Amino acid sequence: MLRLEDLTIRAADRLLVEPTSLTLVPGQVTCLIGPSGCGKSSVLKWLAGVLAPGLTAEGRAEVERTPLVPPSPALAYQPQQDTLFPWLTVAENAALGLELSGLSRRAAQARVRPLFDRFGLAGCEDRFPRELSGGMRQRAAFLRTIVLDAPYLLLDEPFSALDAVTRLRLQDWLLARLAERPRGVLLVTHDLYEATQMANRILVMAACPGRIVADISLTTPRPARSEAALAGVRADLRSLLMEETP
Amino acid sequence: MSVLRQFLPAFFLTAALLALWQGYCARADVSPLILPAPSDVARGLWANRADLARHAGATLLVAGLGFSLSVVFAFASSVALWFLPALRRGVLPLMVASQTVPIVALAPLMVLWFGFGLLPKVLLVILVTFFPMLVSLLSGYARLPQAYHDQLVSMGAGRVALFRRAALPVARPQFFAGLRISATYAIVATIFAEYAGARQGLGIWILTAKNNFRADLVLSAVVLSAVLTLSLLGLLHLIDRVTGRRFRGGDDAAA
Repeated sequence: MLRLEDLTIRAADRLLVEPTSLTLVPGQVTCLIGPSGCGKSSVLKWLAGVLAPGLTAEGRAEVERTPLVPPSPALAYQPQQDTLFPWLTVAENAALGLELSGLSRRAAQARVRPLFDRFGLAGCEDRFPRELSGGMRQRAAFLRTIVLDAPYLLLDEPFSALDAVTRLRLQDWLLARLAERPRGVLLVTHDLYEATQMANRILVMAACPGRIVADISLTTPRPARSEAALAGVRADLRSLLMEETP
Repeated sequence: MSVLRQFLPAFFLTAALLALWQGYCARADVSPLILPAPSDVARGLWANRADLARHAGATLLVAGLGFSLSVVFAFASSVALWFLPALRRGVLPLMVASQTVPIVALAPLMVLWFGFGLLPKVLLVILVTFFPMLVSLLSGYARLPQAYHDQLVSMGAGRVALFRRAALPVARPQFFAGLRISATYAIVATIFAEYAGARQGLGIWILTAKNNFRADLVLSAVVLSAVLTLSLLGLLHLIDRVTGRRFRGGDDAAA
């Protein structure tokens, strides 16, 4: 279990996130939802060890009862943009994290290349990111994140740059990948549909200062999450977000 | 075909300007001592081709040597300044201030201090071409997108990996821009250095021709200087094309 305790984030002149605690459970997707500026991405970035310049933070985190010092190999972070390096091939991009963790170039390639088929990227290994569609690029970014084999994933609005159809397909696809090898996921989003479709648990954040105002567990199994079954939760979430957004 | 499309307008414009110049000299009856016609310049070039080639070779040697050393020094300095930001803050203002020293003051000083050999001229070329390359590299490194930085740091990258994996590739276009600027300065700086004192080179050729009131030979050297500079730029363009397949396409999602 990943436990974050009393994380406070400050900008120079104001409190951005007041003491916030949360837990991530292996095999579960926890969504952090809230209006723009509530600090949800900053919480994620602090865990990833890349808090924006100009912000300061205090807090504690532990993974399986061991203190966590970000950035940690126990956490794999994927930012909002796919951040595939345009001068690297897709296979080189996918292997980047493995190489940084100390694997040789050859060993890293040997690890990522067999996964291309399962990630719907067969034949794209030696192409450059500019030659891929938006959905394929995002799958390549997921491949780079997931191949690190970290027990916890930090995903910062990974579907926000995609068109509606690609987004829906990729959400299902990601859930299928997560089902193959369960991990604890912290997914930042401001899409109600995405949150209710993907999450086991939704943490609602309010802004000014950022804080968690609701903790909603979704017990309905994903195959049974029809529009009708989720209508109540979405209505609750919508009213919570409307209340908390100035 | 695209190469033709790129160079045809410049070719026609140059031809038109030369024709205008030739026509003006013929009609206005200007003394060739003051303004020789392009045909006079061409005749001077052809008649002195062996001497001019020797002098141009000397200039190219100095410019090439100085430029190559400058690239090495600029790159090494840029790496040092990337890893030592405090040093960067101290050194950069000095570097900028050094650029206010005029080349006409430096060239005779170099001859005074180091004589008429290769060293003063190479030093002058390095002094003139080093700064644009260093600034280009540093501004290139500074363009590293925060998203790339965050992605690498979250995967455990240290400062060396950040530099090698992202800052250096990101700086490539600026590096080549700096190379092109410095390449044009290299030939001019060499000619200046030779002008201040040399046994061979286009600079000393120009000085001698001027003292003999041979404007046609001065302009012959100018033509050769332009040819040398364009050749150097062409070589850089070729290196860019051959080594830059990965960098073409202009996709920069996180920029």
